[in-house]
Amino acid sequence: MFDLIIAGGTVVDGTGAKGFIGDVAVKDGRIAAVGERLDGDARRTIDATGRVVAPGFIDPHTHFDVQLLWDGAARPALAHGITAVVPGNCSLSLAPLRAKDRRALVGMFQQIEEMPPEAFSEAFEWTWEDFAGYREAIEPGLSINVAPLVGHSVIRLWVMGEAANQRAATPDEVAAMQDLLRQSLDAGAVGLSTSFVDVDENGRPVPSRFADFSELDALSAVLGEQRRMLQIVPEFYATDITIARVDQLAELSLKHGIPTTFSPLFDNRLAPENVSRVLTRVEEQFARGAQVWPQMQTRPIDISFSLLRPSLFFARFPRWVRVLRLPLPERIAALKNAEIADKMIEDAGPDGGMAAFGELVVRAGEAPEHLVGRTLAEIAAERGQSPARALIDVSLEHGLDVAFVAASRGHDDTSRIGPMLASPFVHIGASDGGAHLASFATYGDTGYLFSEFVRGSGALSLEQAVRKITSDTARIWGLKGRGELKPGFAADVVVFDPDTIARGEERPEFDMPGDGMRYVRDSSGVETVVVNGEVAWEGGRYTDAKSGVICPLN
Amino acid sequence: MNARLIGASIKRMTLARQRRFVTPHPDETLEALAARALPDAPLADAVDQIRAWNLHIFAMRKPRGLMLGSDVVFVEPPLT
Amino acid sequence: MSAAAALSCSPTGLDDAVVEAAEVVAGHDGAAELMVRLRHGNGASSFVTLDPAAGFDLLRAAGADNLAALAGRPWRQIIRDL
Repeated sequence: MFDLIIAGGTVVDGTGAKGFIGDVAVKDGRIAAVGERLDGDARRTIDATGRVVAPGFIDPHTHFDVQLLWDGAARPALAHGITAVVPGNCSLSLAPLRAKDRRALVGMFQQIEEMPPEAFSEAFEWTWEDFAGYREAIEPGLSINVAPLVGHSVIRLWVMGEAANQRAATPDEVAAMQDLLRQSLDAGAVGLSTSFVDVDENGRPVPSRFADFSELDALSAVLGEQRRMLQIVPEFYATDITIARVDQLAELSLKHGIPTTFSPLFDNRLAPENVSRVLTRVEEQFARGAQVWPQMQTRPIDISFSLLRPSLFFARFPRWVRVLRLPLPERIAALKNAEIADKMIEDAGPDGGMAAFGELVVRAGEAPEHLVGRTLAEIAAERGQSPARALIDVSLEHGLDVAFVAASRGHDDTSRIGPMLASPFVHIGASDGGAHLASFATYGDTGYLFSEFVRGSGALSLEQAVRKITSDTARIWGLKGRGELKPGFAADVVVFDPDTIARGEERPEFDMPGDGMRYVRDSSGVETVVVNGEVAWEGGRYTDAKSGVICPLN
Repeated sequence: MNARLIGASIKRMTLARQRRFVTPHPDETLEALAARALPDAPLADAVDQIRAWNLHIFAMRKPRGLMLGSDVVFVEPPLT
Repeated sequence: MSAAAALSCSPTGLDDAVVEAAEVVAGHDGAAELMVRLRHGNGASSFVTLDPAAGFDLLRAAGADNLAALAGRPWRQIIRDL
């Protein structure tokens, strides 16, 4: 008897093969059979008629390290059909970490994840120092699978202490880092992450950036012993530097026989050559036998700001720049000054800022409820003002603490990005799930892939899209027996409606420790999520299943 | 692995030339790196050029101009 | 092109890059950033995206209070004043 049969759905098995109407049977946490009509009984049958049955999605770039300590589902990732996440990116993981270094790491995490300090002091007890200890701390509570990276910055911190973000390592220190990395890999780490971009809470480069190439080479040699992944964050804001990093990764990949990945890679309509130049170089390096996988996110990038801080959003408008650069008390005084405000409004254009500001939307958070989600054009019309005047007045009425969002202002050209995502050289990822909590939602990229690039532009077929975020990801990362609906593989399964799967609207959620706020997006169209054979999410609810594991590796 | 994932998609077999860069030696100053990278140029000019070609170090970093062992430092302008 | 050849691409022996244009773009972390496109002495074009702090510093160093005022400015001089 099977434990579960998901019957009558369109089976899209993750390989890219055309979907077919059939059944998927599960037993003992694994796929037991897949076929057009399976015989045999099951303890439970889920009718998937009219739905797609696919392998669970895998998110290869997240920062759920901390959240996993109190939320084993990495909410809302699981609800979007994601059954495995890779935390520990960008050189930062929660282990290995000596007790004396916790404060330093918390600062780095707060900078990157924007997580409230209470998350580190109230939500869990630090019970570990080494990587095996961190694994023991999270694994019993997991309802999602985890393939954790170990961070280069914390390895440096362990070995070098305060010198980690001051200097290059000595040969003895590099040897100690190699030992520590080896221990972490033996304890289940999927690879090493490093960063050439990130900074700590004081704006100082994180420790990994003080390593010279020979240190990274020595650590990559350890990765080569087990053919584990090297992940980096390159200087993605400049094409030539990104290409230089591609070449460095290729050198390490070829020398040590390791897969490498870098994230993010963005399209920018103002620099249209960026992605094509980088992908050309990636292709050249693949042709040499290197594995250098660029990660590209599906979602567009929004700009958000308030008048509390100077924003370059106003860089076209000289009077706005002058006023917003002022210290806060003087800034408020200037905005209240009718003569200055009139000139700012004049600066915004003869239409009163309709073209420049009319499409701005008031974000939830500190803004009053009746304004949230509405455009400045609507609010201005209601108030009988120009949008520029409304922007100033609404902000002043709430101590300038009103956030506005300009949606889809980067990486937003679907006609360009669709073919990029479909490229065999592009690894779909870079969601940053669990990071940037107070700035924007990092969830729902998989739903957006289907709504925008499968149903919308048609840049990818349903089968291609599923393969991109299941079996391709599992192979790139060496996740053993995942990413396909195939007998013997882990029973990570998502059942979704291909006509409605999407990401929901961005909304605030006050579910962080200490009532901290983060922006989230709910899923739509995802009906059932199975993790290692147990239903972990269905009918809009998380179940009590704790069937997630630290992913076994090839 | 590569063939399985991207197989016949690979077409380009040669590496095109890219912009040249160096990485800083331990404790190397900007002046020393400029002299090493552009030995034929007057030092002041070489320093000016290295700064102008490497905004990620000399404009975007705090503290500004702090050279790190991991840095890519370009020693020529972008290629045409 | 060798470094020495690169240095010979302008009458002064230096790469006299100028700002071709500057635009506001969306940064990875949701902040507005400044993308500056440069035209180099050898005719090549490049861009760099500056975070808010660096972007405002650049405007200040250039004595500019808006994007249009950056166009045509000599790049090395701006960098020197940063």
